[in-house]
Amino acid sequence: MRRQVVVVAGLAAGLLAFVAAGCGGGGSTSGVQGASHTLVQGKKGGTITILSEGDIDHLDPGAAYYQFTYAITYVTQRPLLAYKPNSIQPVPDLATSMPTVSKDGKTVTVHIRHGIKFSPPVNREVTSADVKYAIERGFDAAVGNGYATAYFGVIQGAPTKIGNTVPNISGIQTPDKYTIVFKLSKPSGIFVSALQEPLTAPVPADYARKYDKGTQSSYGNHEVATGPYMVRNNASGKITGYTPGRQIVLVRNPNWNPKTSWRPAYADRIVFREGFDPTVATKQILSGQGDANGDFPPPAANLKQIVSNSSQKGQLEFTPTPGSRFVALNTQKPPFNNKLVRMAVAYVLDRNAMRLTRGGPIDGKIATHFISPDFGSHGFNQAGGFGYNPFPSANESGDVAKAQSLLKEAGFTSGKYTGPQITQVADNSPPGSNTAAVVANSLEKIGFNVKTISVQHSAMYTRFCGVPKNAPNICPNVGWISDFHEPQADLDANFNGKNILPANNVNWSQFNDPQVNALMAKAEVELNSAKRWSEWGQVDQLITKNAAAIPWLWEESPTLYSTRVTHASELWNGGEPDVSFMSVK
Amino acid sequence: MGAYIVRRVLWAIVLLLVVSFLTFVIFDVFPSADPAVLRAGRNATPSLIQQIRVNLGLDKPFYTQYWLYLKGLVTHFDLGYSYYNSESVRSEIFSRLPATVSVTVGGFIVWMLIGIPVGIVSAIRPRSILDRSLMGGALVAISAPVYFLGLVSLFLFAKGTGQLQWFGAAGSYVPISQNPGQWFNSLVLPWVTLAAAFAAFYARMTRGNLIDVMGEDYIRTARAKGLPESRVIGKHGLRAALTPIVTMAGLDVGLLLGGAILTEIVFNIPGVGRYAYNAITNSDLPAIQGTVLFGAFFVVFANLVVDILYAFLDPRVKYG
Amino acid sequence: MALLEIEDLHVSFRTLDGVVKAVSGVTLALDSRKTLGIVGESGSGKSVTAQSVIGLTRFPNATITGRILYDGRDLVGMPTDELRDIRGARIAMIFQDPLSSLHPFFRVGHQIVEAIRTHEDVPREAAKKRTIEALRSVGIPSPEERFDSFPHEMSGGMRQRAMIAMALALRPDVLIADEPTTALDVTVQAQVLELIQAMRDDFGTAVILITHDLGVVAQMCDDVAVMYAGRVLEYAARETLFTAPQHPYTWGLLESIPRLDAPRAERLSPIAGSPPSLINVPRGCTFHPRCPYTPPEALESEPELAESEPGHLVRCHLSVEERKSLWQSLLQEHPVLM
Repeated sequence: MRRQVVVVAGLAAGLLAFVAAGCGGGGSTSGVQGASHTLVQGKKGGTITILSEGDIDHLDPGAAYYQFTYAITYVTQRPLLAYKPNSIQPVPDLATSMPTVSKDGKTVTVHIRHGIKFSPPVNREVTSADVKYAIERGFDAAVGNGYATAYFGVIQGAPTKIGNTVPNISGIQTPDKYTIVFKLSKPSGIFVSALQEPLTAPVPADYARKYDKGTQSSYGNHEVATGPYMVRNNASGKITGYTPGRQIVLVRNPNWNPKTSWRPAYADRIVFREGFDPTVATKQILSGQGDANGDFPPPAANLKQIVSNSSQKGQLEFTPTPGSRFVALNTQKPPFNNKLVRMAVAYVLDRNAMRLTRGGPIDGKIATHFISPDFGSHGFNQAGGFGYNPFPSANESGDVAKAQSLLKEAGFTSGKYTGPQITQVADNSPPGSNTAAVVANSLEKIGFNVKTISVQHSAMYTRFCGVPKNAPNICPNVGWISDFHEPQADLDANFNGKNILPANNVNWSQFNDPQVNALMAKAEVELNSAKRWSEWGQVDQLITKNAAAIPWLWEESPTLYSTRVTHASELWNGGEPDVSFMSVK
Repeated sequence: MGAYIVRRVLWAIVLLLVVSFLTFVIFDVFPSADPAVLRAGRNATPSLIQQIRVNLGLDKPFYTQYWLYLKGLVTHFDLGYSYYNSESVRSEIFSRLPATVSVTVGGFIVWMLIGIPVGIVSAIRPRSILDRSLMGGALVAISAPVYFLGLVSLFLFAKGTGQLQWFGAAGSYVPISQNPGQWFNSLVLPWVTLAAAFAAFYARMTRGNLIDVMGEDYIRTARAKGLPESRVIGKHGLRAALTPIVTMAGLDVGLLLGGAILTEIVFNIPGVGRYAYNAITNSDLPAIQGTVLFGAFFVVFANLVVDILYAFLDPRVKYG
Repeated sequence: MALLEIEDLHVSFRTLDGVVKAVSGVTLALDSRKTLGIVGESGSGKSVTAQSVIGLTRFPNATITGRILYDGRDLVGMPTDELRDIRGARIAMIFQDPLSSLHPFFRVGHQIVEAIRTHEDVPREAAKKRTIEALRSVGIPSPEERFDSFPHEMSGGMRQRAMIAMALALRPDVLIADEPTTALDVTVQAQVLELIQAMRDDFGTAVILITHDLGVVAQMCDDVAVMYAGRVLEYAARETLFTAPQHPYTWGLLESIPRLDAPRAERLSPIAGSPPSLINVPRGCTFHPRCPYTPPEALESEPELAESEPGHLVRCHLSVEERKSLWQSLLQEHPVLM
């Protein structure tokens, strides 16, 4: 682990430096030399501008489920737990201290701070009932929260069938104004970590209920804040600072008390300007017209230029994205129902060329299993770290000979596949289309005849790869971003047999191995972190060896900063800029 | 003429109905994303997805959905709500219309002011060096794609990104009521980019038309009457040469009002075109429907206006 | 002294195919109050000659030499600005197809007013009155309404009358009429010709009438020039041309006119062959390829336009006696020529 101390010239009152912590095992996680997630003291005042290509998904903290949106959600809302930008370990935000868990693991108790107020026009103090309402509304289809059942379905009384009303969940108890007690139907190793989700940020029931009625909640248009910033609104609470697709304006929350928070909140105003072409926006950031990129990476060509330019490369920070990109093989139909054939594919895929389609080494490390390096001791090391690579080849370009010998073992005596044509459903635009082409190319070396069906990215997920009925043999453009740094959030949805669904299926390989399922079930209820991470490490190895899906990239996201601001890339959120820690220089 | 207009308007309504129906069908038939799943999020349970499907009305059969949509459209001029962010499609389009109008009308003025004089000058001296270089330049301008021209102009002339920091950067558009100076400055490059190809095209058309007209007998008569050459070309020649061009321009403007998509994207102008692009990327059917209908409406309306205009410009044309 | 004299006019155009010699040495004179007819086939150069008088052939690829004297000034060398003062005001021209010769988008009255106000500083109302009077004088009924008509709203004959009204609105000395009746019905033709005659008599205008129709010539013209391949082949007074022509081409023209009183079985007799290319004009006499009587000199040298009798000019190598005797024998064969 590298310790770095940065001295900022010209500061009068001493120096404050936060050390980069938890940057993963063994070596720098950034692909290039550059500042690596050190935080610097800033000064109050000024406006920060973030440029983006697309829009956020939802302002409503109960619905937001997108890395880019979190750049706004976490500085305007205070969930029970949150993150400092240079750490993957959640710390208390609304809570006074980390939650306590009973011995049997079925009771989790949290205390919230006194004197936290909602922003105007609600203005009153936050109570435990507001947290209860916030979580309960996540189970209302009118709000439409995507992870409520996954992480909070374990609470007693949480509904299994979702309707258009906010249910009363008996397992969320509020014995007093500042205490919440969760009663769980079984122990959960990740429940405490899940409390950093924005769903736990308090929502005032008296104010919000009228907006949550009906089939589509409009609370997002009238939301109030608890964080240092708020989306600008008018006196009656209507949000005026959000023009969809155009811009979002954050102003200071007058009711936020800095003494109750570890967020510095230097800037007075933050403006998110949307709708930019990435090439243009990158140039604007370099010339100081924008301060950081919100939802797009600078195009590969620009990245290479910046990295080789000594005066500019300091403006770039790389942050690992939790999770990985992989190629999913359909284990439910031939030929990939045969493990030997799958292993042959794992050997022959040219992962180096695949990484080149996304920009090459600058884009990240070639993945050899699923849990990514930024998990560090949270499972990455336990899965064998960089050393665990069951399907190695020279330069990771694929080993045709080994693949052929496996095919021979599988019954293809020539060493080449001789069965019928196989299909893959791929992205119709670069870089996904290029990656899919490399996959097809690699497979053709061992005799496969691959037909590629190209569709729009979202259609690929929602109509083909995500629907087992329509799933092709290969889905080459899939991947998973872990919601937080617990391996369960990284592996369970994609590889647990119980998660194979008829629609919106994310277990794209339809992987259903009883041994692995059993190990996952055990790890899910394991409260001891060390044990739990070790178990998930094993799960990772088992899944990888099985070759139902073949990981190939642990991506690193580049965040480009203008020279007028300090850097604060969120290690826990794929490098999104943390605007509550950034400052105008 | 009155009966003609009534007939055309009725036909226009039929056309718009067909367009909206086709959009519905295409969206239904071709593999685009499932909006309920997109809305629910990737970890969502089937129960949530199903409820959202019901909430969005997607569980109903296709023709019921279409009928409900039509009903809302005709009785309340309600274009539905975006699947993506639940905003009213109508209010989104209307709030973005001024930006698109600014781009289109400004571009139109620029391309006419450049294209027509260039065409006239070229026509007066056909096959001269001036003519050849102007028409050659026009060919280049027509061939360069809007996106490319836009990027080049940003990297040459825009504040921040350009070598010469003359004009507004991408994304600097503000409504004219907010800051006329910045509004203008942010639109100069988009206007020129949009106008480039059109100006070139209109220059070539003007040149061709004018050369043809100048060979007509009535031009000879005008000269025989002793009219000064400026009058012969400027009044007799242009009047005949420009009439078809003006009507063509009307059609082009109608088309662009549906959203000069590429220009709006590269310059980040919050117009209807940009909105359409986002809608397509997000498989947002109501928004797509709304923008398609709007675009179709403008085209149909422009066609009607242009045909009526033509009857006034060319007295030989009569509508029963 | 003649009102308008064309002296050795040459007009050629440089084209991609070569140099087109449209007019090669035309010399003509027009006296005031007289009507000169110019007759010939298509491509004979008659229109180019006429248009060159007021400089309508001054294209970038044109070469014009010779002199055209009007009122003591040479129009060939005159700058176009000066020439414009003469166009329409002193020398006016009307063309073959009045539908295409009038601007389709402007009302007829407006176009006439424009002609007037270009040359005279007259207020609009006064010009309008004069225009209406002009329309009335050419025999257009309800001229006040017709003032606002568009050209396509009028009949062919009415249109041509309107053109004549426009041409004569400023009382020019010379009216050049380039095939004014060719595009009209036969019945209307006569009316328009009468109109031109009446205008000529009323205003004393000299007229150059270009036509391929000998019948028109017979009706209207005092003198006739017969043109072929850019040259004048014969020039004579009307009476002489029809009774004692001396050029084989003229004989051919007269022979080829169909007659109502000819025997039914008699075939039409066109002149054999077709007019020559104006780029590669045949050596010697330009007519010789089609001439039944070609003498040997005609193959080598072009004959001069020579006076065979006072006021009668002929360009032919045959001697005067030979020509007269040939004409007599033709008369005997075809009495209808008389």
